[in-house]
Parts: sequence; C-alpha cells; structure tokens
Amino acid sequence: MSTADEISTLLVANFGTDPVAIRPEASLRQLRLDSLALEELRLLIEDRMGIDLDDVQLTSRDTVGQLVDAVHGKAAA
Amino acid sequence: MTARYRPEPFAAAVTGIGLVTAAGVGTAAAWRGVSGAADAPSVLHRPELHDLPCDFMYTITGLDTKALLGVAVQRLMDRFSQLAVIAAREAVADAGLDPSAWDSGRVAVVIGSAHGGLPFYDEQHTALTERGARRVSPKLAPLTVVNGAASSVATDLGAHGPSQAVSTACSSGTVAIGTAHQMLRTGACDIVVAGGAESVCSRLLIASACRLKAVSTRRDDPEAACRPFDTHRDGFVVGEGAGLLVLERPEHAAARGAAVRAHIAGYGASSDAYSAVAPDPDGRGIERALRTALADAGLTGADIGHVNAHGTSTVANDLIEATMLHRVLGEHPLVTSTKAMTGHTLGAAGGIETALTVLALQHQLVPPTVNLDAPDPEIPIEVVSKEARAGAFDAAVKTSLGFGGHNAALVLTRA
Repeated sequence: MSTADEISTLLVANFGTDPVAIRPEASLRQLRLDSLALEELRLLIEDRMGIDLDDVQLTSRDTVGQLVDAVHGKAAA
Repeated sequence: MTARYRPEPFAAAVTGIGLVTAAGVGTAAAWRGVSGAADAPSVLHRPELHDLPCDFMYTITGLDTKALLGVAVQRLMDRFSQLAVIAAREAVADAGLDPSAWDSGRVAVVIGSAHGGLPFYDEQHTALTERGARRVSPKLAPLTVVNGAASSVATDLGAHGPSQAVSTACSSGTVAIGTAHQMLRTGACDIVVAGGAESVCSRLLIASACRLKAVSTRRDDPEAACRPFDTHRDGFVVGEGAGLLVLERPEHAAARGAAVRAHIAGYGASSDAYSAVAPDPDGRGIERALRTALADAGLTGADIGHVNAHGTSTVANDLIEATMLHRVLGEHPLVTSTKAMTGHTLGAAGGIETALTVLALQHQLVPPTVNLDAPDPEIPIEVVSKEARAGAFDAAVKTSLGFGGHNAALVLTRA
C-alpha cells in the first residue's frame, strides 16, 4: 500500500473523512482536521508505519500532498 | 428567630425521556425490561476483569455507536458521552422539539457523572507505562473530563445555554435534575436536558471497588448478584447507561402544546458530613434531603405513593435507606429498586431511575425488585418484588446517596 493510501485509510477509518475529498491539493483544514485531530493523526501514522514524526511540523494549512511527502520522506529514511 | 426561606412552589414539566440501559435501549425497551416484560438484562463476565473477585457488569449489548453517531462525532467521546448523546437525541425527539428551530440560547444541559471517561484514562495509563510518553493520546483531557457528556450533548444538539456537569458520585444524576429544576425556577433557561451518564468498565476502578468490598463477588451467578433489600445481598453490581429528561418551564411547555409526562415538583439535597464512603448510620442526611424535597413540593409523606429507592444491594445502604423511608413516609408507598435490572450505573443512576419513576407515574405501575427472594427481616418496609405491581398514586419519590455523603431526593407528580 502506498503512503497516500495508508494515510487515506487512516483518515476514513478514524475521522470519517469522505474518501472523495482526500485529494493532494486539499488542505487538512478542508478535511476538518483541527489541531487535536492532527496530533491524533500523527500518532496513528507513527503506529501504523513504525516511523517517528516528532520533528515534522503539521498545521491545518498543510495539504494532503505535503503530508504524504513528509511521511514518505520519513518512511524512506 | 428568622423564618426559614421558602421559594414559591415550582413544578418543572417533564416532556421527554431518553434511556440507554442494559435492560433495554430506548425508553420503550428499557421500560419493558425493567417492568419484567422482556428478557433479563445482560450481566456479562468481562475479559478485562477476568482475574478480579468481581468480573461481571451490566453491559449494553448490540449498540452500534459508530453507526448511530458517525466516526467523526464518536471519536471525540468516551463511551459515557456516547451513551449520553444517544439518550439526549431520544429525549429531545420524544419532547417533540426541533433543535434547528428552538431558541438555542435558552436551552441548557446538565449531566451528572461520577467517573467521566475513566476507561480511556485507564487505557492511556497503560500506554504510558508500557509504551512510553510519546504513545499517549492527545485526546486524554477532552475524553476523560466529567463534563464530556454535557459538552458533547450541547454540541450535538446545538444548545447554547448554560451547560455543566454535576459530580456527586452516585447521586450525580439526581442532583443534575435537581439543578435543572432550580435553573428553570430562576428563569435562567426555558428547556434543560438533564440526567446522568456513566460507563466504567475500568480494571483500575473495579479492582479498587473489590478491595473496598463494595461490589458483589457472586461470580458463579452474576444475574442474581444484585439483590437489593435481600437477606443475602453482598454488594452492588456496576452497570453502564444514560438516562436523560427534557425539562421545561411549565408555561413554555404549555405554549407549544407539549405533552407533559409528569412534573418535577420538589428537590432536596444534603451532605452527611460523616465519611468518605459510608452513609450516616442513622440516615439523617438522606432524611434531610427527602424532607426538604417534600416541603419544596408542598407535600407530606402521606401523599407519596411510590418510591424508586437508591437500593444498591449493599448491606449498609439498603438498611439505612429503608429505615429512613419508613420513618419519613410510613409503610404505604410501593417501594422498589430497579438496580437489579439496570445494575448500579453510579452517576447515571439518578437520571435513569428518575426517568423510570416518571414512567411508573404514567403507567401507574411499579417495577419489581427482581432477585429479592428473601427480604431482610431488619428492613422495615415492604418492597415490590418478583412482578410489577399496579397502584394508584399521584406523587412519587426518587432518592439517591453518593460516596462522600452526597444525598438527593426528588418529588415527582402526575401530569
């Protein structure tokens, strides 16, 4: 499963996000992810992918594409 | 000597009920269960508690909270808040209210809970100790705070009036309804969604309750373990649930032509100021609460035809409470404890049992104290057992006692 698919699966299962709305250019705010949800998502990604995102800055202004790139970078490291 | 202050009598209209219990989900199902017209409730051995002297709880089965609430809503609530939202939706629909059309600033929410989101706290403590600080969820505070149910219900309904939690241990639900009665009386709001919610399948809590010897250890027969007023009672059995009422200022209910189920006519509360866990052995605290509620309603013991007692199935509570009821009300009321059908739902108990008292007034039927096989000879009152009993009564009482000596009583009257 690709990084984008992993994140999409987590968003749908844990936040009830509409899969159609999960597009690379969509901001995390548009997906209704507030600061609490972002930190919850960080934990879920870390657990699912076995990576450490502690030094990754996440804000609601970031897009899905930026998140995927950041996670992919960590997963590849 | 200054005359004691007495406010003008005030009867809040009960226009809606929402019930989620192990005896039934939904008001109709819960009433059928509690009055003995349906299958016995689910008292399940819980794997989380497998090695404890008490490993069973009254458990709500077949409730798909994810489907009912949606993932996005459910994820921000521990189970006690989820049960509260489900009950609140039912209560508001039962009252015939439309949250998209009401004056939302005049709608309040008051919900009692003893332990809030303790199961999530328990889970996160395990994560901390076994996996480290970075595996602890950022949701700990919002999910575990006792006001989680009140804030969740206010958010779900779009209620913009005052919302708050009440936490007085096992009398929380009753105090919440009493608080709502007072808010309506002062004109602080027109509508209050009030009651209690609890769900504490917490290994930490039950382990402590076992050490305290407060809970039944009848592991070989859990369905018969909760037996209020019985000679062989040995402690309470924890249950989960939520019971909420829609209360309105009577003129507000009348103006919209609402069907009124019953009235909350009087409220009294007191403190034992005696012990962290044990009730005052003379029952003077709960007596004071009950006498205050009767005076608030302008009634006497002779007017009361039915009591839904706290009746926890502990040796101390049942004897002290029954002796007090006999002293204040006499022998005539039809007394029951519905905890043998719902479990002791702690902070939710007062909400659930007040709702059941409303239904008893409407149906003129007193649910039985199931499992009461051998009444304790020291108990000076007759308790309705085995089967529901029909009666003719215009007023009823709900009593509650909480750890820490928090006593509360409500007087309800027929519509």
